[in-house]
Amino acid sequence: MTSVAARPRLRVGVAKFASCDGCQLTLLDLEDELLALAERFEVVEFPEASTLRSAGPYDVLLVEGAISTPDQAAEIVELRHQAKMLVTIGACASYGGIQALRNWSSHDAFRDAVYAHPEYIESLDTATPVSDHVKVDAELHGCPISPEQLREVLVSVAVGRRPQIREEAVCLECKRKGAVCVMVAQGIPCLGPVTQSGCGALCPSFGRGCYGCFGPREQANTSSLARSFVYRGRDGTEVSRLFAGFTGWSLPFREVIRAYGGPPGMTGDVSGPAAAKDHRNGSEPEGMEGVGDARG
Amino acid sequence: VVTEERLPYAPYPSPSGTAVAPTPSASPHTSGPWFLARTNLGVLIDLLREDGRTVIGPTVADGAIVYDEITSVDQLPAGIGDEQAPGRYGLIDHHDRRVFDYTVGPISPKRWTFPATVPLNVGRRDGRAVSFEPAEIDPPRLALLGVRACELAAMGIQDRVFLGGPYTDEDYRARRRNALVVAVNCTTASSTCFCTSMGTGPEVRGGYDLALTELDEGFVIRAGTPEGADLIARLPVRSADAGQMFRAAEAVGKTAATIGDPVPTAGLHDRLLAQFDSPEWANIAERCLSCANCTMVCPTCFCSSVVQRSDLDGDVSTSERVWDFCFTAGFARVAGGNFRSRPRDRYRQWLTHKFATWVDQFGTFGCVGCGRCITWCPVGIDIRAELLTIAPPLAARPEPVRPRPVAATPGYYATARIVAVRPETNDVTTLTIGDVDPAFLAGEFGQFAMVAVPAFPPLPISISRFGRDTIDLTIRAAGPATAAIIGLGPRDEIGLRGPLGTSWPIERAMGHDVVIVTGGIGLAPLRPLIDGLLAQRDRFDDIRIYYGARTPSDQLYREELRGWAARGDIDVQLTVDRAGPEWTGPVGVVTHLFDRAEWNGSRSLAFVCGPERMMEATVEALEVRDLAPDRIFVTLERHMECGIGLCGHCQTGRLFVCRDGPVFSLAQVGDIFGREGI
Repeated sequence: MTSVAARPRLRVGVAKFASCDGCQLTLLDLEDELLALAERFEVVEFPEASTLRSAGPYDVLLVEGAISTPDQAAEIVELRHQAKMLVTIGACASYGGIQALRNWSSHDAFRDAVYAHPEYIESLDTATPVSDHVKVDAELHGCPISPEQLREVLVSVAVGRRPQIREEAVCLECKRKGAVCVMVAQGIPCLGPVTQSGCGALCPSFGRGCYGCFGPREQANTSSLARSFVYRGRDGTEVSRLFAGFTGWSLPFREVIRAYGGPPGMTGDVSGPAAAKDHRNGSEPEGMEGVGDARG
Repeated sequence: VVTEERLPYAPYPSPSGTAVAPTPSASPHTSGPWFLARTNLGVLIDLLREDGRTVIGPTVADGAIVYDEITSVDQLPAGIGDEQAPGRYGLIDHHDRRVFDYTVGPISPKRWTFPATVPLNVGRRDGRAVSFEPAEIDPPRLALLGVRACELAAMGIQDRVFLGGPYTDEDYRARRRNALVVAVNCTTASSTCFCTSMGTGPEVRGGYDLALTELDEGFVIRAGTPEGADLIARLPVRSADAGQMFRAAEAVGKTAATIGDPVPTAGLHDRLLAQFDSPEWANIAERCLSCANCTMVCPTCFCSSVVQRSDLDGDVSTSERVWDFCFTAGFARVAGGNFRSRPRDRYRQWLTHKFATWVDQFGTFGCVGCGRCITWCPVGIDIRAELLTIAPPLAARPEPVRPRPVAATPGYYATARIVAVRPETNDVTTLTIGDVDPAFLAGEFGQFAMVAVPAFPPLPISISRFGRDTIDLTIRAAGPATAAIIGLGPRDEIGLRGPLGTSWPIERAMGHDVVIVTGGIGLAPLRPLIDGLLAQRDRFDDIRIYYGARTPSDQLYREELRGWAARGDIDVQLTVDRAGPEWTGPVGVVTHLFDRAEWNGSRSLAFVCGPERMMEATVEALEVRDLAPDRIFVTLERHMECGIGLCGHCQTGRLFVCRDGPVFSLAQVGDIFGREGI
């Protein structure tokens, strides 16, 4: 049909670490366009969809999950060498996910409490984002990711332009829909003002506060939002519980959790054992320069 | 309904703060007014629908009164009102049948004249050829029901932006042309309203097809256009009688009086543009989330971006215009950087646009005073307070209107009756005074009264509480006159003049931290201020009270102090000079209480009252914490006889303490404060 289609198909791989598989399933959720996508992309590695296994190199490698074991830490370095473009998909790969809650606490105590034979378990003290280990070219946020944003990244690679993913608060999606602010009208604490859009303001549209699945947005003023929760009558434990969700290990959220005493129920040093390893500069992770407004 | 020849067609706020109504004031179709019985309001909605219009009106959804499509009068918010404050909105039940007894909700008519998402075009590439097909503009015929004066003014402003030329927005033009406006005069106001300052309301003054004013029994109704007159001709109306017209005008007048003039706009354009380098922008950015909620609920904000969605080959792409705002990351970004990367830059862009550069671009303010940005800010930033802080009104402006005192002239007294006597300490007593002139009840925090009983010299006494129909006077026995007054009992009468003098500027503290430092009986003139702060607790950030007394038994209002401390949302710290066996708290001067406290004075306003030496030490300690002299307020005590600046006793420097004080900013009195012999 066009010159684009005549190009050789791009090799796409999907890799998975500590995660629930929901994000890679989003690829299958692009049902209407799966056949068209298959004309342009050759999915050579996709354990959730196919038993066919193939080594790299990959033009695009989608990475799901946090790095949680020594094997994973080694494997991601190897995969990075084989990937021209590495895109993390979801809250686990981008921020460590819900399992990063263990970073606040004693890994060994948890392991011994949960497993009958802890001596067989070989895991790291922390669950950390992929970008703590290797260079990441782009991050897709969310728990799970947005099919529309995944499509946009693939299309942009195929067409050869920058992905158009808006950097803005969930509030913009909420107000564009005409939803009434749950925080102002009902006093429900909501992370929407500090959270990256992409979900279509799903929770606030149903009268729930935002859980922050898409992680901190650019210039997220988490400390001001946390103070406003206190003014609205929430105590410190509730405030840190609100931030200690799927993206609680992101730096702007982590700062609030630390300031309000650590995630509820977590023991140990609340300064966080992995804090020293953190090399990310706030809300703008390395490799994000390619993701943003098309006019950039 | 908008026609080409009279655009822009709604009144809009001029930089001088008065409304400009470009529509001709008198035309044949504006005869009336008429009266529409409450039971016939549904007929109006039916007529509009019969005319093929979708009716957009107020209705309750998700805990708020919002505009949405309605098909029946039953969907209107009968008996429902709203309560609004910075960062807060709630519905209240009026237990009546009124349908417009609320102010403005989160959604404005902008949603229909300038929708959040509008298709622009479809672009195609076929080999080497490209084509762009503009989206068809075919908006629905609408009737916007319940539009308020501020919202009409906002439509007038957007008319100027989109249709004022030289280039125009055809989508907007078509939507405006298709929208009939049924306006409503406001007969109630929210705490966040300031249309009066912006010159836009609460009364609609043109730009409507029909205008309603709600009474208990129905609606006074006027037509503003031939289309409106045609509707009235088809409605079961009769001429409004004189009583109905009077009550309608009275209700709207009361609304205006309730709002007052919270934002003095004289010179605002120049005042604001002189403050590009103000440190206050960074202070706001500590609170601002740059979440853009203020701009989205604003009925005049008109910025947008274009988003595209292309097929997998990039051969077909659809473009949409979506609401976008100066607070988002990409808004001022170019290759290589962002012109406004910091939240403080974005807030400055927004505020200076609304109140200054908009004037240069379009000849009007970009604000209509609807207060939506205050209510719907998740952290309650109050644009009125920020304007007063960043660009304070000019010194040359007329003095703020103070409540007019009763019996101002010496010699005259209004009598009042003591209703309760409460000993506070060994030598201090609080009298609760009833049957007072209403002028006292309208007094401001920090003002005083001249109090007299026959045969004794009159005394200036601070008002230590404003009750619903009483005031408190807290008096220390210092001589025969005070002893005579304290010695009175319930039902005894006294003479009062006042309220007199200046007050604590509580409005300047909105959105800021408050520090109150006081000693001994100095707590008495501050108690109304504390009452006022606590009554609107969420309009202020951290509140800290530091109180020193000679001994524990010299503390005033001991139970209230305990109550304040127990609230948990203010910090109350007490100290004494000499402790007794029962005292376990700190001992020492009051400034020691905050020697080690960790708060930053640059975000605070301080209110200080106590013995002069204590105030001097306090001021020094506050200045170390970066509190500028115009943010520290102190009282001066001098001999007062007349209370109105005519007897000369209380002169100090260029000031009369009774008339120009007793509350002063340190900036006013810095040269004489603490100096002996002045």
